[in-house]
Amino acid sequence: MVAKYVMLADTTRCINCKACEVACRAEWDTPLGYSRDWVKEVEYVNAKGLPEVQLFPGRCQHCDDPPCVEVCPSGASWKREDGIVLVDHAICSGCELCVPACPYDARWLNPVTNTISKCTFCQPRIDKGLQPACVETCVGHALIFGDANDPNSAVSQLLKAKEWQKLVTDEVNIGPNHYYYTAGKAIPDAVMPKLNERHLSGTLMENIVNPLGTLGIGGMMAVFLGAGIKKLIDRRQDVSNKEGSHEQH
Amino acid sequence: MQESDQSSKASRRAFLKSMMGTAVVSSAVVSLDAQARIHAPHELETLQDYEEHWGFCDMCYWRCGLKVRTRDGKAFKIDGNPEHPYNKGVVCGKGNAGIQVAFAPNRLKQPQERVGERGANQWRPIPWDEALDKVAHELNKVKEKYGAQALVMIGHGTWEKPYHRLAHAFGTPNTTSPVYGLCCGPRAVGSMFVTGRNCTGNETIDRENCKYFLMMGRNITESLHNGETLGWLDGVANGAKVVYVDPRYTITASKADEWLGIRPLTDHAFLLAIIHVMLKEELYDKPFVAEYVVGLEELRARVANYTPEWQEAITTIPAATVYRVTREMAAAAPAVHVYSPRRLTRTSNDFGISWSMSLINTLFGTWDRKGGMFTPQTFKIPEIELPEFPHAHVARDETHGDFNFNHTPFSVNTEGKILRADGAGVPGRWPIASPEYGLTNEMWKAMAEQDPYPLKALLTAGGNGFTNSTDYETVRKGLMNMDFYVACDVLPNEMNAYADILLPESSYLERYDDLQIGGAKEGFVALREPAMQPLHDTKGSWEICKELSKRMGLEAYFPHESIEALLDDRLQKAGHSLAELKEKGILKKPADDKVNFPREFGLKSVFPTPSGKVEVIPNKIKELGMESALDWDEQPRPNPGEFHFTFGRVGFHTHARTQDNIWLNYLMTENVLWVHPDPAQALGLVEGDTVDIRGRDGRGGTIKVKVTPRIRPDTVFTVHGFGHWDERMTTAVGKGLSDSLLASQNREKRIGSMSMGMNMVTLRKV
Repeated sequence: MVAKYVMLADTTRCINCKACEVACRAEWDTPLGYSRDWVKEVEYVNAKGLPEVQLFPGRCQHCDDPPCVEVCPSGASWKREDGIVLVDHAICSGCELCVPACPYDARWLNPVTNTISKCTFCQPRIDKGLQPACVETCVGHALIFGDANDPNSAVSQLLKAKEWQKLVTDEVNIGPNHYYYTAGKAIPDAVMPKLNERHLSGTLMENIVNPLGTLGIGGMMAVFLGAGIKKLIDRRQDVSNKEGSHEQH
Repeated sequence: MQESDQSSKASRRAFLKSMMGTAVVSSAVVSLDAQARIHAPHELETLQDYEEHWGFCDMCYWRCGLKVRTRDGKAFKIDGNPEHPYNKGVVCGKGNAGIQVAFAPNRLKQPQERVGERGANQWRPIPWDEALDKVAHELNKVKEKYGAQALVMIGHGTWEKPYHRLAHAFGTPNTTSPVYGLCCGPRAVGSMFVTGRNCTGNETIDRENCKYFLMMGRNITESLHNGETLGWLDGVANGAKVVYVDPRYTITASKADEWLGIRPLTDHAFLLAIIHVMLKEELYDKPFVAEYVVGLEELRARVANYTPEWQEAITTIPAATVYRVTREMAAAAPAVHVYSPRRLTRTSNDFGISWSMSLINTLFGTWDRKGGMFTPQTFKIPEIELPEFPHAHVARDETHGDFNFNHTPFSVNTEGKILRADGAGVPGRWPIASPEYGLTNEMWKAMAEQDPYPLKALLTAGGNGFTNSTDYETVRKGLMNMDFYVACDVLPNEMNAYADILLPESSYLERYDDLQIGGAKEGFVALREPAMQPLHDTKGSWEICKELSKRMGLEAYFPHESIEALLDDRLQKAGHSLAELKEKGILKKPADDKVNFPREFGLKSVFPTPSGKVEVIPNKIKELGMESALDWDEQPRPNPGEFHFTFGRVGFHTHARTQDNIWLNYLMTENVLWVHPDPAQALGLVEGDTVDIRGRDGRGGTIKVKVTPRIRPDTVFTVHGFGHWDERMTTAVGKGLSDSLLASQNREKRIGSMSMGMNMVTLRKV
């Protein structure tokens, strides 16, 4: 069975020590000013009038239905069979349409490469059987990564053992594969995904330009095919005419 | 090939270079690259053909085990060593950022001699030989004129050991480490007198099995040590109840079942009331007390008046809470722990706090029991044999953790020896302070006032007196008084700017250091080896000390030809070798429940006090007339309009020494002042406003405000370590405000350590 990679974050064990962020930076040489992952610290006053803090480590959610892939005009953004959303940097033009398309703000233009960067679940590492850098270094063992399709994996066991939530809303529900355990607490709005205004241009690309392009390419194909067939028929007619005329000779 | 940033980056860079055209420009780019960390992203680089080298971390003092990835002679990634008991493979944000210590562009790169005024940062580079000759000459000159005791050595780092040896060989007793007088010394004192054992919130708590943590300001998630924090989180996940006592709602508080927002400086009153309830309701471990404890009746009389109702007016914690917490702890005992703060230099009576915590932990019978405190394993590696040190009062042994109190500090024989200038361990001065570590705050004072005798030369190994202390003027005066000051360090800071000679050290990724010998449930010995050759013209501390010893006629104290020979010699004496350790990185003695938890197996606990028993009112303290330390000592309170000033840590900065690290600075560029919404409203402050903050002595500065319910209305807080002013600290300079300007300059009454929490401040909107 094909793997389905997921990330679990036990927020009760996250301490916002930033080990994940710095390890990721070191592993992938992320340019300063940008980060592929983050920890959001949300503070609020609860119903009893007492302060509370919740911590949400996050990164690309490797969604089942990723809008970043949909809007990508070059096909550089793509989804692997095991669920990992990746960017092919040889193709990526750095047009940034996918940046606002992502409701988790997980993508950014890398000024060094001029292509889009984001979390890959450390794909090169996991392909070698290693854990993602953030998971390996997580001080509180708050991050757990693995194959949800393998019933023996730690993530499968944990998914069954605890109540997990995802960062989804009525408005944004694109099948993220990053799960959160909060010991029953509601997830604050501040960390929930939001449709980006600038996503409009991407939606345009997704709903009009790309389909039109598809139509266009199809049309061109049809024109070429039609032209070829017409040419073939004409040629045959031409030949038969000549043959006919020959016969007449 | 999906993350082929590397190849595209390489090609883009090549493209840019070709665009630049001139050979001059592109060769400049190449040489800059040669100094930079290997740009090693993505599958093409990080995972292909790298070497791994063993190390232990130097970003804080917990010393996690590391594996450092290198290629082409450059370190590019730090990973945790899963075999190391202090971190079990995880590394925090600071540890991961260690790469940027080695590759910092503003490293001290060659020896320098001061050419301008002290502190003016005007230097000329000089060769090593000249620098070392000069240091040896100047130190010997001071010795000739004033005597060897005129040399002060202050060490702050995992590599300070050879400097202590050199200074002791030179003949001075005046070596100190700020960790004692400025940080966690007082934490250990109470336990040492009561039990003879270290019970401090350090390494030997069975956190995973503990069922009740009473955290006395121990912000274990932000003032963080990997293995300790991980073990604590495991304990909490295993169902331990956590009651967190702190004026501030920290991330640790967010993991707790209950937050008690105690008034600053009043922990002692709260603890005394707990002892009162324990004794009154007979909630202590009676069989343990019958077998091991002396002096309980005397204690009962001493705490008779410290009722929960009495403490309520002082701490603002309801009396009912004290009763409940005490009874809950008794029900969970012996798997309970009163967790000391890491830094216990806050009030005028930290000894009383330390003593009280030790009493509660001990009377609940937690020693050598599951979920309580365990007996660590030790991995014995003998020290090398050396000639005698004439005036060093005590030599440090390496056992477990930061401290070793096997040499009881109060039993120093001073006969025929020069007394320490800071008075640590000196009868009539600070007899219960450890002369092993010294009182750095008192040493600065002695240097500033040239009292009790002239102190004319200074050798520092790391550290920063300006930011770890609270009294700039005393530190500055002390530095200006020196005939000669040599600073050994990796990075520039405000203190080493005052040096006459600045000796650049190799970073911890570029050198060997002496063995790390530790004890947790497992005993172990771990190796630090160079992951790469030094990037600059730098040396390790052993090498520097060896070179100086040759020039000062002290060769006998550095008998080995190289540090590898020293390590091999030590290991051979224990039946091992450097080659073996290089192969394995760490040698371990496995955990053994019978050793760790003898009382679970009907075996006896050992308490190495003079009486061999737990002394709840220690005889030695009575002899010194210090029993009153157990009594409540009234602490200052804010007047109307004033606030208690507190400071603390975040998980990704260590002290004042990581703010210049570009990766860590990115996570927090400046500190802000936490103010509760009520006083903020009264003062017309909103988030992001700037305030002028002043202590009662008028010192202070400006800082931005964070308005948050996570702090008491009568208290303000900021993160320690910001507000640097040395221009060489190019990333950190000028950002935030130094809490050292606002912390109080008081002294603990009996230990002599600093009391930094006693200042009151006022705020004014700017």
